Amino acid sequence: MQNLEIVFHLKTSVALGSPWISLDSLLMHVKLLDELGEKYFSLPTKVALHPEIDIPLKRWRDLYISSVSIFEPESVNMYLFSFFKRGDFPFPRGRISRGSGFFKDFYLKVIYVPALRVRFYATGEIEEVRRLAEKVSAVGKERNIGFGFVKKVEVREVENEWGLVKDGKAMRPIPVKYLKSFEDATLMPYKPPYWSKKSIDLCAVPFTRVELL
Amino acid sequence: MSTAVEIDWKWLRRWREYFLVWYDESRVEDKAVEAASFMEKYVDEGILSVSGGKDSMAMLHIAAAVLRNRELAVFHWDHGAALMPRDIEEEIIENIKSVAPNAKLIVKRYSFGRDERARYDWRPWYREFFSTLKELGYRYHILGIRRDESCRRASRGRVVERRNWVEVHPIYEFTWRDTWAYIFRHSVPVPKVYFAYAKLLGWEKARLVTFFDREFEKYGSPQLDGVLMWRYRTV
Repeated sequence: MQNLEIVFHLKTSVALGSPWISLDSLLMHVKLLDELGEKYFSLPTKVALHPEIDIPLKRWRDLYISSVSIFEPESVNMYLFSFFKRGDFPFPRGRISRGSGFFKDFYLKVIYVPALRVRFYATGEIEEVRRLAEKVSAVGKERNIGFGFVKKVEVREVENEWGLVKDGKAMRPIPVKYLKSFEDATLMPYKPPYWSKKSIDLCAVPFTRVELL
Repeated sequence: MSTAVEIDWKWLRRWREYFLVWYDESRVEDKAVEAASFMEKYVDEGILSVSGGKDSMAMLHIAAAVLRNRELAVFHWDHGAALMPRDIEEEIIENIKSVAPNAKLIVKRYSFGRDERARYDWRPWYREFFSTLKELGYRYHILGIRRDESCRRASRGRVVERRNWVEVHPIYEFTWRDTWAYIFRHSVPVPKVYFAYAKLLGWEKARLVTFFDREFEKYGSPQLDGVLMWRYRTV
């Protein structure tokens, strides 16, 4: 296993549903798609399959050594994009009003970051990580309307293991039970699947000072 | 454990100056005096419904400042921990008490509020909320609704007869600029979370609503909450 830096060069801005994107969840998603193929789209909902799938990242206790996203350039701000989205219910035949009433299109808002690159740090098998990362066509939310398109991916080795802690700062949510000291903590998911309640614990917040046990 | 919302103070100071100028230019003081005199005949038999948002806090401040000698009754609805983080709820209660220290404050709680179900099943809330209003038995419900909030609200009028009570809207003619100008001019306390949302959404669209509430999913609110209020997603 090597210490890695993964950089996604972006064609378009990244839309966000939370302040960070996690590399382990991204690779897990690609791996699931890779292994299950079309079956991926007919999986039972609300059942976590992830423990059965292994991604090529090193584990430390029960979490992967992989950072959350670092958007570049650092000075980049958040902006708001509003758009209409059609509801996902079956549409009846005949004329319907999409401007108002029951079939009114959803008026959604999404926060986006006009970043040029997204950087991650991890420790894992470089070739397999590269293979999976190259399959990522877009990152973030609302990819179907053009957000987060990836231009190219660079995976290279770095000297140190920065997937957990870099310069004394947490690079991902780390449960406080694995820490000697921490600056800031809150309840948040720390391992895939990030949507599951089972993944939630009191964690140190990314990019705050921590000291591992 | 810190739960503070990130605020750009430099940006806020710039906007404060703008609203202070607006306060004088648009004669907001006159509008506030008019709103207070309009409210005066209703407060004895009425109750001020205060969510803790900017409009209801401005209305409460007008009532408390101008109608100093009158006994005010204030009603606040607590949506519970699943929908309204406890530190924001505490901030709201503190704000109400600081603006109207002598008012009779009635706080009612939604029985589903602690439950995750509160995030997606809001119909029982309406039943519970309106039956509570009925139980309180006040003749007038004084609300901080404004004409320019929506077409629906613009068609309501300043006094609305309901089946069990009469709805009164004293600050009906205020614009969003007037409300913010009043808040900045009189240092009316509002939840700080407003300033995080106002920076992204704009001052006219920043509203205090329940967080991660699926009722507002069709407006994309939970998506914004996920980024701005990420600490409360798993509460």
